[in-house]
Amino acid sequence: MSKKAFTFISRTAPYGSNRPKMSLDAALATAVFEQEVNYLFMDDGVYQLLANQNGEPIQAKTLGNALETLDLYGIDEVCVDYESLQKRNLEAGDLTIPVTLLDATQMRALINQSDFVINL
Amino acid sequence: MSSLHTISRSSQHELLQACLKIINPGDEILFIEDGVYYCCDKKSLSLISRDNYVYGLREDLVARGLRDKQDALVEVVGYHKFVELTVQHSKTVSWF
Amino acid sequence: MTAYQFARNLLDQGHDIYRVFFYGDGVFTLNALAVSPQDEINLPQAWHQLIESHEIESIACVSSAISRGIINPREAERHEKDSVSLFESSDIAGLGQLVDAALQSDRLINFG
Repeated sequence: MSKKAFTFISRTAPYGSNRPKMSLDAALATAVFEQEVNYLFMDDGVYQLLANQNGEPIQAKTLGNALETLDLYGIDEVCVDYESLQKRNLEAGDLTIPVTLLDATQMRALINQSDFVINL
Repeated sequence: MSSLHTISRSSQHELLQACLKIINPGDEILFIEDGVYYCCDKKSLSLISRDNYVYGLREDLVARGLRDKQDALVEVVGYHKFVELTVQHSKTVSWF
Repeated sequence: MTAYQFARNLLDQGHDIYRVFFYGDGVFTLNALAVSPQDEINLPQAWHQLIESHEIESIACVSSAISRGIINPREAERHEKDSVSLFESSDIAGLGQLVDAALQSDRLINFG
């Protein structure tokens, strides 16, 4: 079977809901099938990437740590909507892992070339 | 490789803005569930390019008292057409 | 409700469903213990009937299901619970079933 391109879009902040975890789990499961997997953080989703997270005081698993494993599991491209970062007064240096910053044109191209786009 | 985008929550969730950031020419938008409130929101609809056709799901419009209140830009369709749209486009992107 | 209506319509139009995968809170849709007021539709019951009558493969994500108490006999035994809540027309399995369904089907349609 030929390889398909999956793009996961995550738009919600960590800890407030289990959506970020659901999205991550689905992406990791897809990577197991050796498909092309892209991960795009938009809007409040960029907060998931902030460095120095510690879920311990709220009895939660630290999501930032889980994201550090993305490349180990074969996620091809971790992307961030640059405008979403800017709006929140953040820059790439504030994030826990290296990411590819995308403008609107690049995001459109990514979505266009994907076989599946999954918003969780 | 065009996409159908379904939007199922009202404007306070800013799903349309997120969708419009990544939408491509030829993609189409279908408002469903609470997303149908967008069908009467001229200001939000004006953000959508003429390259992207817009539908609203009849059942959800009727339920919310919005039937015949939708903007002229919006074509009202039923589930039959909803299914057809998912076939016409190579993928469906669901915003919720 | 939208997903249910969509599924019914696509079947009426002659399309096939390869698999329905319930994820996150979606697994509550497979709760056989849910009771609705008499004048309201029982969505879990409606799905169960659709799944049975069309012999649709229906899967609840294992981590979503067991953390929400949606349990079949196998999981009840494994986790030492004395009741079962999943409709027998559905099964519990991992996320790989979602990915497999995407790869095997012409279309993947998500509902939130």
